[in-house]
Amino acid sequence: MKEEHRWGWPVAFYLFLGGLGGGMTALAGLSDLIFGRGEAFSLGSLIGGSAIAVGSALLVFELGRPFQFWRVLSRQRAIMTAGAWMLSLTIFTSVAHFSFWPGFSPWQQLVGLRHLVAAINIVLGLGVCVYTGILLGSLRARAFWNTPILPVLFLVSGLSTGAAGQSLVAGAWPYRGSAVDVEAVHAALRSLDLTLVVFEIMVLFLYVLMMRLAAGKVAARIAATWLAGQKSLAFWGGVVVLGLAAPGLLYVFSSAAAHAAAPVLVLIGGLVLRFLVVFSDERAELPGESQYYSRLPKPDALFLKAWD
Amino acid sequence: MDTRRCIGCHACTVACKVNNELPIDMIYNPVFTHGPNGVFPHVSMTFYPHLCMHCKNPPCVGCCPTGASRQEADGIVWVDRNTCIGCKACIQACPYHARHPNPRTGTVQKCDFCMERVREGLEAFCVQTCHQRARIFGDLDDPGSAVSHIVRSMNTLQLLPEVGTDPQVYYIVSPGGQV
Repeated sequence: MKEEHRWGWPVAFYLFLGGLGGGMTALAGLSDLIFGRGEAFSLGSLIGGSAIAVGSALLVFELGRPFQFWRVLSRQRAIMTAGAWMLSLTIFTSVAHFSFWPGFSPWQQLVGLRHLVAAINIVLGLGVCVYTGILLGSLRARAFWNTPILPVLFLVSGLSTGAAGQSLVAGAWPYRGSAVDVEAVHAALRSLDLTLVVFEIMVLFLYVLMMRLAAGKVAARIAATWLAGQKSLAFWGGVVVLGLAAPGLLYVFSSAAAHAAAPVLVLIGGLVLRFLVVFSDERAELPGESQYYSRLPKPDALFLKAWD
Repeated sequence: MDTRRCIGCHACTVACKVNNELPIDMIYNPVFTHGPNGVFPHVSMTFYPHLCMHCKNPPCVGCCPTGASRQEADGIVWVDRNTCIGCKACIQACPYHARHPNPRTGTVQKCDFCMERVREGLEAFCVQTCHQRARIFGDLDDPGSAVSHIVRSMNTLQLLPEVGTDPQVYYIVSPGGQV
């Protein structure tokens, strides 16, 4: 079959950065609004917003006409339009949430306003995490994406990478608490991410297993390449062992080195997972299609170049 | 599409490419060869002439974030090159490989049933050129048209009906009545 991965590595990177940024932003908002610990997580809000900005930039340069990107905001009722609006808004609101903490903004005393921004960030952050799953999951032409569990997987993975990202930066500037406080924040993040990693293992196995057993022929074939085939090394090695099982164990151990390594592994696992999903975009074959395209001349054939 | 009549000469592919001035590596309407199937002496081979299926529920229109991908009241699905930004969402949404990115313009383009010709009462290039009359074009909404008659009375199939897009291209697959 003609290989046609229409969405390439920029989209995979964006899916990862969007999940990471959405998760970090939502967790920062949550910690401020519900636990009153916003300051410790505030740098994560800035970094999450930056991750979303970088991811959105990758998306823009993936476009055929990057300078027309603003048109993506123009239509109602398309999932991608909703997503583009959420991305654009989250970039601003996450930075806005951060701006209450470093001590130079005139509005830093307005706690009510800060809580409002935090609440908006929770909604937008979760939205950014999950809408990509809805976008891919709604494409009925792509058998391996077209399942209601994909948004769930992206949500759990986004929150898990978000918690890992927060583990790396929480408690740093502009937080002014004691070292004991910082350690308490990190302990909370570890148990949160451990929970999310366990959930993600379950959701991921349900996804691949149900695709293998209960979906159509194309999806079953792709699931087989994940479980024991072309993509099995990335799936078992990159996602399951390196990205989920290993950090899960490291979170349980109580050495400082293990605690520093685990979030990095979670991030790597999240990235590999997005690559696996994006490159599993095969569609059902039309009668005689693969035979036809395999016999077409290669794009660099001499007589084709002579034509140009 | 009358697969009993199609002889796999690819004249429609060439007519489309030449008249619509497509880039060299872009084909709107390939003719797929399915087979040979079976074991001698019980073998069969079928040609499936293609084009955009102009689905009744086109997934490529609903997913377009700019509204460049649209469906006309008469069912023709087309892309407005001025508003397409080349996000390729419609390519991912299409089960029939009917949408093609053009790296030169940065937009996506596709078979539009030769919309301008059809509106003037002419036939699409691929239909006009088919010397076997295997490509039969008409108005499926008009119960008196030849295509409506074929779909009602002959053994026809749609490609990948399970995707649920209700493609408006029917293939006559086995002996039935003549047009």
